[in-house]
Amino acid sequence: MKILSANRTVFALFLLLGLALPLGATDLPVAGQTAGPAQKLIFPEKGAYTGAYVDFGDGEDNITLEALEKFEKMVGKHQAIIAFGNFWGEQAFPKKNVMIVTHYGATPLIFWSPWDKPYSEGLLPDRFNLYNILSGAWDAYIDKWAEDARDCGKPLLVAWGIEMNGTWFPWSGYYYGGGQKDLLNPPNDPLGPKIYKEAYRYVVNRVRAKGVKNIQWVFHVNNQSYPPEGTWNRYASYYPGADYVDVLALSVYGKISKYMGWGSFSDVFRLAYEELRKVAPNKPLIVAEWGIGEYPQDGNKAEWIKNAFQDFQERFPQVKAAVFWHERWQNKDESYSNLRVNSSPEALSAYREGVSNPRWLSLPQYQPEK
Amino acid sequence: MPQIHDTNFVFLDTQGKRWPRLRLCILLFGAIFFICSIMFVQSLFVVSKFQLPPSIQLLKERLRVLQKDELQAVKKPAKPVWLEFSRIKHTGRQIMSSPKAQTAVKPQTVPPALPQVSPPALLQPLSTPAKKICLGFYATWDPNSLASLKAHAHQLTHVCPEWLIMEDGTGTILAKPDPTVQGIAKQNGIILLPLLTNILDDVWQPEAVEGVANGPAERRELFIKNLTARLLEAGAGGVLIDWGQVDPTYKNNITQLLQQIATALHAKDMEVWLRIPMGRELMLYDLETLSQDVDHFVAALHDENSDTDPPGPIASQNWFEGWLNTITAYGRPSQWIVELGAYGYDWANGTPRAETVSFADVMTRAGRAGVQTDKVEPPFYNPDFYYSDDGTEHTVWYLDVATFINQLKAARKLDITGVAIYELGAEDPAVWDVVGKEPSEINQELLQKVSSLNSDGVTQVGTGEFLTIEDTRADGFRKVSFDPTGNVVATYEKFPSYLTVSHQGNGKDIDEVALSFDDGPDPEWTPQILDILKTKGVKASFFMVGMQMENNPGLVRRVLQEGHEIGVHTYTHPNLALVSEERIRLELNATQRLLESITGRSTILFRPPYNADSRPTSLDEILPLETVQSMGYVTVTEDVDPEDWAQPGTDEILDRIKMGRQLGGNVILLHDAGGDRAETVAALPKIIDYLNNRGDKIVSLGTLLGEPSDALMPAVRKDQDPLNRIVSDSGFRIFHIVETFLWSFMIVATVLVVLRTIAVLVLALLQQRQSAKTQESQFTPSLSVLIAAYNEEKVIAKTLQSVLNTTYPGTLSLWVVDDGSADETSAVIESFAARDPRVHLIRQSNMGKALALRRGLAEIADDIVVTLDADTQFQPDTLFKLIQPLENPRVAAVSGHAKVGNLRKFIARCQSLEYICGFKLDRQAYYYLNCITVVPGAISALRKSAVIQAGGISTDTLAEDTDLTLSLHRHGFLISYAADALAFTEAPETITALAKQRFRWGFGTIQCLWKHRDMVMNTHFKALGCFSLPGIWFFQVLLVAIAPIIDLLVILSLLFGWSSPALYAYFAVFLLMDILLAAMACLMEREPVRQAWLAVPMRFVYRPMLSWVIWKSLFKAAKGVLVGWGKLERTASVKDRTGISS
Repeated sequence: MKILSANRTVFALFLLLGLALPLGATDLPVAGQTAGPAQKLIFPEKGAYTGAYVDFGDGEDNITLEALEKFEKMVGKHQAIIAFGNFWGEQAFPKKNVMIVTHYGATPLIFWSPWDKPYSEGLLPDRFNLYNILSGAWDAYIDKWAEDARDCGKPLLVAWGIEMNGTWFPWSGYYYGGGQKDLLNPPNDPLGPKIYKEAYRYVVNRVRAKGVKNIQWVFHVNNQSYPPEGTWNRYASYYPGADYVDVLALSVYGKISKYMGWGSFSDVFRLAYEELRKVAPNKPLIVAEWGIGEYPQDGNKAEWIKNAFQDFQERFPQVKAAVFWHERWQNKDESYSNLRVNSSPEALSAYREGVSNPRWLSLPQYQPEK
Repeated sequence: MPQIHDTNFVFLDTQGKRWPRLRLCILLFGAIFFICSIMFVQSLFVVSKFQLPPSIQLLKERLRVLQKDELQAVKKPAKPVWLEFSRIKHTGRQIMSSPKAQTAVKPQTVPPALPQVSPPALLQPLSTPAKKICLGFYATWDPNSLASLKAHAHQLTHVCPEWLIMEDGTGTILAKPDPTVQGIAKQNGIILLPLLTNILDDVWQPEAVEGVANGPAERRELFIKNLTARLLEAGAGGVLIDWGQVDPTYKNNITQLLQQIATALHAKDMEVWLRIPMGRELMLYDLETLSQDVDHFVAALHDENSDTDPPGPIASQNWFEGWLNTITAYGRPSQWIVELGAYGYDWANGTPRAETVSFADVMTRAGRAGVQTDKVEPPFYNPDFYYSDDGTEHTVWYLDVATFINQLKAARKLDITGVAIYELGAEDPAVWDVVGKEPSEINQELLQKVSSLNSDGVTQVGTGEFLTIEDTRADGFRKVSFDPTGNVVATYEKFPSYLTVSHQGNGKDIDEVALSFDDGPDPEWTPQILDILKTKGVKASFFMVGMQMENNPGLVRRVLQEGHEIGVHTYTHPNLALVSEERIRLELNATQRLLESITGRSTILFRPPYNADSRPTSLDEILPLETVQSMGYVTVTEDVDPEDWAQPGTDEILDRIKMGRQLGGNVILLHDAGGDRAETVAALPKIIDYLNNRGDKIVSLGTLLGEPSDALMPAVRKDQDPLNRIVSDSGFRIFHIVETFLWSFMIVATVLVVLRTIAVLVLALLQQRQSAKTQESQFTPSLSVLIAAYNEEKVIAKTLQSVLNTTYPGTLSLWVVDDGSADETSAVIESFAARDPRVHLIRQSNMGKALALRRGLAEIADDIVVTLDADTQFQPDTLFKLIQPLENPRVAAVSGHAKVGNLRKFIARCQSLEYICGFKLDRQAYYYLNCITVVPGAISALRKSAVIQAGGISTDTLAEDTDLTLSLHRHGFLISYAADALAFTEAPETITALAKQRFRWGFGTIQCLWKHRDMVMNTHFKALGCFSLPGIWFFQVLLVAIAPIIDLLVILSLLFGWSSPALYAYFAVFLLMDILLAAMACLMEREPVRQAWLAVPMRFVYRPMLSWVIWKSLFKAAKGVLVGWGKLERTASVKDRTGISS
């Protein structure tokens, strides 16, 4: 026993030497982890970041490293951006999710929604309504959230109050007077968008007051405005101003419910893109959500995805990132909306094929905040 | 005993003071050693009095019954879902919306021959009627399931194990057949129906089914081909399909796929069974169409409230009958199998999923929480209760034999006889008394039978890897009876108490995870692991093995210093299921004492070797834990086991940990010893990074339990048995020193033995070649033969005759000194003397051999004197050959070659071999270097003048021949050896006689060694001083004395199965050298080589005897007493070798 240990030591040394090299080589550089001045994401001149919202099982705010790794393995590409929700009903900055996403090597895109449990779409404004926010009722929460965001030190993309031009979220302008004229404040802006903008600025100002420099603010609208009538509900009405927005973002989906019609990616994207582009021509523009359900009777999901990738490259090369919405949910009629990238083997291979193009960048690039 | 009053006698203590003093010292030392040993051993058996930390609680303290109104707690849907699936318009069969009304409808009132809309094909059963079908669902992961399958195999017709998984939509199938189940099925004639699911790692994969159903025809074909192949490989009788969360939009494609599967399997004589869920998921299946293709529908009539739903009944009677009546309206009754639930759910408030529990687990929870009574009663006919565990509220709903009977009866009312039990291992054992019964057999007597609740089996309560065993086994009792509606009701009056494993310490939140290392410390791997942990700032736990701790006390200290926890993993790593309770206590106490003596801290943490599984289910595994617990330990198991010891590869270790972590495991088991741990060391940084990256907190076991480290590893109290502590402390140290010494000694001894063997062989061969070259000389001086005799009447005549028969050409005279014999020795000699003038008799009173020889030598005038023993016989040419070397005047003495003459007994044959080795090899070799240590009195030729010059024959020792030889060396004379001068001597034939002889030799040799100690390692004496004398010291005294200790170790290690290859190697090398030497000697002697095998028995008989002799000699030497001749009892058994018969 003891006579052998000298040999074993030598053997172990060789083993260690052998292992040291590959170990060093495979160490993934974890982006944005360097200490020092706050950093921010650089949007590339050419190409676009690839990103995803990954179906985590229990709710939009529960991220696991395994789900990210599984998704990466499935689509064959590392993700530069990982999106997830963070609801005011939780009353906390999503430290753990941010940590998992940054350790995974992606930039978090946080949908920071003033929403209370049960986080179901179609409910009326709750205790986090815009009036309450503006009255200062949630200042303490915002401050704490801001401090935690600052202290985490990671570059973050934060979209506050997303898809406000619809009706399914309680912070939509629709619930705050909609297109009614604000008679007190000429030039008589529509009331709904005005209150939204005020709340947006209020929140951003409060966060900034805590010395937060690692957040890039995302102005995130839905491609289709509901209700569509009139001009009060256009993107421009909600735009809080160049000082408050670093990135423009769009949600854009193909058919995701059996009651919708089938349309190609450019059908649902082109007009919205052009409209948003006009709101702030010099800001980077990203697709914060895109996806398509599996409806073999109505259209070919694989084809749709293939064409979308072609459109991104050929028709909308200025889109700087695209976050794929990978989720499946059950509808009231027991049918499912399957937006998952692997809803069919054909859809999955179309996505793999499309995203494998080197124009889709898988590692976020950062630069120090000025 | 004759006394020689010679004060020069070596070791003689004339004043007689040495022994009393020595004896006193030995006594004192012995007494102290004895007391210390007893205290040491006792300290190993002393059970530590540990205070269990407060967080370790008895279940009775943890669990509290809660009172709640189940009717308010359970939310009921406004309208039963099953009504959406009624098939009234198709069959015309009246389906009652109210189950109560249904119970009133007697089976025969259903019109038996209503003109069906069913196609004619339906009238012909597709397969054998389901009359006797009894299907068991088998849970691969649950050992209870296997036990249940084995116990009730004779009652089952089909078994359904979870073997086939559709993992993605490409048509591939993941197959994991289990040979154990295959074997049981084959043996009992049970048909195997593997479950084909789309559930992977606990998550439904609807796309896996949809991808195949909606995909191109080739994909479906590939899938069906795969499925058929997997089923044929498994020896299955068909498949049971269970698909979940598939989009009902694809109903048509699913129907087609199932039809295709059925066609393909039917062609191979296999059946297709389809599991039908109760609920809206039913929309997926077109039962009407499928009933023509699918052999059996299995109605999953449970999970009314599933584990992901809020708490509620698992299969309330209304719900059961509602669904049963609805779905069995499709197809034929014989096509349906009712799948009855036989398990429970335990919903803990705040956790997303209920825990699935067995009936026994349920009984334990109810009993320990103090539930007084529990009832199976209307409206649900499902029992339930509420309790709190450490403040967390739990709701339990379960199914038992009463629910089983009610559901069985409902099925029989619809002529459905096929039954499936979900699932084996979780059921109320009483269901087996009921399962095969006809409705008429379900009577009061049967209810009486199922009312007793026996306490066989093991139950588990709680979550976490800190285990405590509660063993208060007692049977329970329930009243089972019929209520007015004809349903069975039950009242639990006394819950049975099982052997229960209580789990605690799951951590405050799901992010907490602990790393643990077993089997160390190891000088090679543990430091590397500690370095990594230090760099990463991670605290872990080390479950150490006492033997390893003993060898690496520094590492034990380091582990503790760097903030890790230490637990006991036994002293020698035995399988506790296979050893006695006493052994377990000893193993733990010894390890604990060692830990205390090294670190000054105790530990209450324990992990059993081999069985560290989180959910022990066999008594073999659990009873040792009970013993351990009675000693004050908490057993810590693991629930993430990457089996790194098997070296599956660094990435595989990591992947297994990822998998285990995702499934919720939070105590990771790794190993820091017991083999090549390079993979573990390489994986560890990755494991830590992975855990950190996924947001886990790597914590100590103490944190998981919510206890500070001090509670788990209390400091040894200084005032607590200080003496005891010192003793155990130094005991371990002494033990360690002795052990180290023995190891080193063994290694040195092995090397020296090998070297000596080679040296002797080479030298002996060289000498043999040299002797062959020397010319024949013709030295024939006048010589005298001298014999000292004492009571030799039996042999002396033969001896004298053999000398007188010599062919020696020169003048010869024969002198016999009778040393005061009491027998007729003198008379025999005188008769010779009368006949032959060459014979001379000298008589003296008994004074010992040395003085007899001295006397004889004084009388002899010749310068050349040959001595022989009275029991030794010469050959005719011996004398001539023996004295030839004396032609050289520098030669003072010549040794002849003594051989054993009496080969009748085994003991003698052994000695013969020994003589051959001694003379043919050792003496030859020594002769080559002129370092012969003894010219044996049995056959020697001496030059009288030289002897006188060297001081004559001394009476200082019992070995006057050795003494004389060494004295001659001292005076610069050469000692020669005549290998061809043979003498046959009589060897002792009993072990007692041999021991006596050897004691005389041994004592004499030690005396000589002592007397001539200045010659040892004295370069003046060249080979004698540096080779042969030290050799005697080492190989014939020290090694012989110590050998039995090592022999004992070997025997012990064989008995206890300690693996000590070095010990065996040592033993083998020694034996091999013995055999090798014996074989070589026999070859050179031209004796049969096969007798070399005698070396093997000699090793076990001879060596211990020699060892005893050496110890006795040393003892006598220390005692300082006079030692007499120790004379051999003569038997006159040496054959006459002279060839000339007297």
